[in-house]
Amino acid sequence: MNEFEWRRQLRDLRQPLAPTRDLWDSIVASLDAAQRTDDPAIPTLVQPGNPWHRLMTAGLAASLLLAAGALVWHQVRTPAAPTFASSTQARWKPADPRLAGAAIELDAARMELQLAIQQAPHSAALQRLLDRTELQQKQLRQLANRAG
Amino acid sequence: MSPAPTGANDTDDVRAAANGDRAAFQRLYRLHVGRIHGAVFRLAGNDHARAEDLTQDAFIRAWQKLPGFRHESAFGTWLYRLAVNLALMDIRARGADPVSTRNEEELPESGETPFCAAERDELERCIGLLPPRARAVVVLHDIEGWRHEEIAGELGMAVGTSKAQLHRARLLLRKLLGDRS
Repeated sequence: MNEFEWRRQLRDLRQPLAPTRDLWDSIVASLDAAQRTDDPAIPTLVQPGNPWHRLMTAGLAASLLLAAGALVWHQVRTPAAPTFASSTQARWKPADPRLAGAAIELDAARMELQLAIQQAPHSAALQRLLDRTELQQKQLRQLANRAG
Repeated sequence: MSPAPTGANDTDDVRAAANGDRAAFQRLYRLHVGRIHGAVFRLAGNDHARAEDLTQDAFIRAWQKLPGFRHESAFGTWLYRLAVNLALMDIRARGADPVSTRNEEELPESGETPFCAAERDELERCIGLLPPRARAVVVLHDIEGWRHEEIAGELGMAVGTSKAQLHRARLLLRKLLGDRS
């Protein structure tokens, strides 16, 4: 068998392959779940044209402004807490150069997954991957600790 | 890179689905699921459960991103790329495992193994046994027809590394097939 035939044999593998089960129902269920979350939780209390409409809208806007002001005031008065991105877990890099590469790659994978989850917050597969990546980061830390 | 050719005119369904038509999206799912799942299944090392999770996820993300689809490429190509990216992200997450049982050192360093004929199923099975990154390079280059530049870009490696991975992965694949024959 020459290389040409070998490559042809590999290229022939490029065939459609149906899943073992129909995924459509699961896809619809996930889309419905995502849609429910996206829907506004607060039902419309007033109808346009209602005489109370402007008053209630103004009241709601004032409440939101008050809440936002209180939040800003609280943040100004409280020392900044470390965010997830700036946590030691995110920035950690082992001294051992053999482990440093793995730490960087795991951290990149974790950030990539977090971004993907922002796009698809209901994806169980992505969440599982993120959990696994974080577990691997933990294992790497343990490995680094053992190595001294 | 070779896209996912279907030969079907799905433009109307793509436009309808982008406007929220679930029935149109279901037709797109039926049309493309085999091609998408086939590619993802081989990238996932013939793991049915993982491949189905990734395929499902690809269609969910496609639905969410469809309103932004600009029709600059065929829908099948766009969907295929989205699905392969998800599968590669999965490989990156797994391939970075420092305590992985299947690592790149298992690949043979040198020496030639003769080409050998293999049954289709046997070939698929041996590809599934390759280490994840090596498998990704073989699947994308030799089966899916990607260029090394595209593979290197997606897997975050140098073009030379992609070529080296392919060479070593082919050696291992032939060795695996030879051991079984």
